[in-house]
Amino acid sequence: MSSKWLAKRILASFIVLAAVLVLNFILFRMMPGDAVSTIIDPSFSPEAKENLRRIYGLDKPLFEQFLIYVREMLTFSFGLSFLSRKPVWDELASRLPVTLALASASMTISALLGTWLGIKAAINRGHFAEKLVLRASAVTSSFPSFFVQLILLMLFAHTFPIFPLRGTLSFPQPQGTINIFIDYVWHLALPVISLSLISFGGWALYVRNLMVRALSEDFITMARARGLPPNRVNLHAFRTILPPIVTILLMSVPGLVSGAVITESVFSLHGVGTFLLDAVSSADYPAAGAAFYLLALITVTSNLLADIAYGLVDPRVRIEGRGE
Amino acid sequence: MKQLFCRTSTITFIIIALLGVFAPVIVGDTPHDIVGAPFSRPIWWKTSTLSSTHFYNVAENGIQINWDKNAPDIFNLTGKITADKIARIIWRTPQKDYIIAEVTGETWLNIDGRDMIFKQSLDLPLVGKSTEYLFPCSGSYSLSFSGAKSADLRLSLYGARNGLLGTDQRGRDVFAMFIYGIRTSLIVGIAATLIASLLGMTLGLVSGYAGGLCDTIIMRIVDILLSIPTLPIMMVLAGIWGKGLWQLVLILSVFSWMGTARSVRSLVLTLRESPWVESLRALGAKRRYILLHHLVPETAPLLLANIALGVPGAILAEAGVAFLGLSDPRLISWGRMLHEAHSFGAFTQGAWWLLLPPGIGIVTICLIFMDLGKYLEEIIDPRLRAK
Repeated sequence: MSSKWLAKRILASFIVLAAVLVLNFILFRMMPGDAVSTIIDPSFSPEAKENLRRIYGLDKPLFEQFLIYVREMLTFSFGLSFLSRKPVWDELASRLPVTLALASASMTISALLGTWLGIKAAINRGHFAEKLVLRASAVTSSFPSFFVQLILLMLFAHTFPIFPLRGTLSFPQPQGTINIFIDYVWHLALPVISLSLISFGGWALYVRNLMVRALSEDFITMARARGLPPNRVNLHAFRTILPPIVTILLMSVPGLVSGAVITESVFSLHGVGTFLLDAVSSADYPAAGAAFYLLALITVTSNLLADIAYGLVDPRVRIEGRGE
Repeated sequence: MKQLFCRTSTITFIIIALLGVFAPVIVGDTPHDIVGAPFSRPIWWKTSTLSSTHFYNVAENGIQINWDKNAPDIFNLTGKITADKIARIIWRTPQKDYIIAEVTGETWLNIDGRDMIFKQSLDLPLVGKSTEYLFPCSGSYSLSFSGAKSADLRLSLYGARNGLLGTDQRGRDVFAMFIYGIRTSLIVGIAATLIASLLGMTLGLVSGYAGGLCDTIIMRIVDILLSIPTLPIMMVLAGIWGKGLWQLVLILSVFSWMGTARSVRSLVLTLRESPWVESLRALGAKRRYILLHHLVPETAPLLLANIALGVPGAILAEAGVAFLGLSDPRLISWGRMLHEAHSFGAFTQGAWWLLLPPGIGIVTICLIFMDLGKYLEEIIDPRLRAK
């Protein structure tokens, strides 16, 4: 992979991250009052107020505040939460695995399922399977995710109690690592299934369109004429559509993070999204800022990873350093 | 044009929009009013139970009720009563008499059958409905007073069924809220998409036609905005900036113009180099004139399809923010209804009527706009039309 191309991608990611940092800084200083006014009691003495301002660094000039802020964000020291008075990072670190597991598991399942169905639909053009895939993807994309999840929750957690109604772990917690792991999987099963169910339709449609186009190319006709078995021919076609599939993987990450936030809220999971929601609705600004920054960081990182993967599967990018 | 108006989706849209516009005429202008017991079923669901609500005005000489129905869900007595010394309020059932309350002087009453202290004072079991003891069978009931000088009371007996779509956790009419939800969805969806499309068109035109540094900057901004997760930033903005309808519209439009800008830009890039624009330039046409009189009309059809296809996204985003509880609680919207259904235990009550109507409403409107958008796209680009 050409190092110039890689450097360019990394630079682009840093620009996005810088924009997020600036936006985050401005947003939380734009709100009415300043950051401490929400926790200051009218009964506080002026000295105590000044002291609090100093603790949160609000007595310094704005530019210095920004530099301190950037340093804090880059070293993950997010300060104390207004609400719990505990370090924000500890709380976030305990919630990060759930969000990452939810997002990556549903992404993998929906991408695999969608790609498989898309290819099946493209190979069997005009058959019942293709029509079913097309219909399903059109309908699922107009369903709000939380509506589908609420229905699934009502059906499979209340009417037929197969899955738990809420939470990430049972209470009391089961003993032993294996049991805890099984409990996690049991709690995350319905969220992951529902999130994959909503997004696989779009995947299938996209892959089907790519595959149909690839199958009508000249080299495929040639491959058929050479008498290659159908499976080999399809494999040829599939290799050419791999780069755009990786691209759409990249494009789906921001939506997936948004989806994870809603999913966590529906199933009351112990994740970053519910933390952000609690922080926003109780005006806990350091916590909200940190959670948003973390979600943006996840997005930017996975975008970069997907970019690198794109370079790996597309030889043109790899050798000549020329993206699309 | 005629084809457009004969489409099922257009007709459905017109009906839904009319329902929204004439909401005050159809369901009254106070959708927040409490009309029945919490979680009442729709009137056509499980019809064996008592329906709707029975109100009686009670003066000092009491009232006689001939009851031949099931027990109501809620027994509620409110109003003013004046006594000389001590007045008793007596509820006579065919089986047993209950002294509901003893009052002295002038008293405002608010007696509710679900109240624990009320149940205790009547020696009723604390768990379960008190109304099953207050209404044990059909027959003649009476509410009377002893020693009351004057009384102006209202006896409300709420049934377990109410309205076309039942009631929510506070006893509000779900059908009225559903109709009012149309307004929010349509206003937010259409307004946000309109603003976003205008913004996207302007920036796309400028970026595509001007090129150079201007183009680079706008496209960089597009890239940045596209890689910021939308929902978290909208949550943060709604939390900081306010939860009103128009704040939400602005937030939504700021984060959804990028797609339009990109497609308008690529269209303008090809148009800019086309012979007729070149000849316009050769004729000495000013940049402003070319943009406004030639390029804007060229991009208009694209914009129209973009608007129709963008509305579902905006409606879903609004519903998502409202579902997370970050919208104005006074503003009735479908997302808000689902939020309340989720957080006030519609599941444990089995109250599907709180869940299905708003959800189906959102899906219907989204499907309508997707269909219209697809139709407009096919008119612009006939190659897309299915064979």
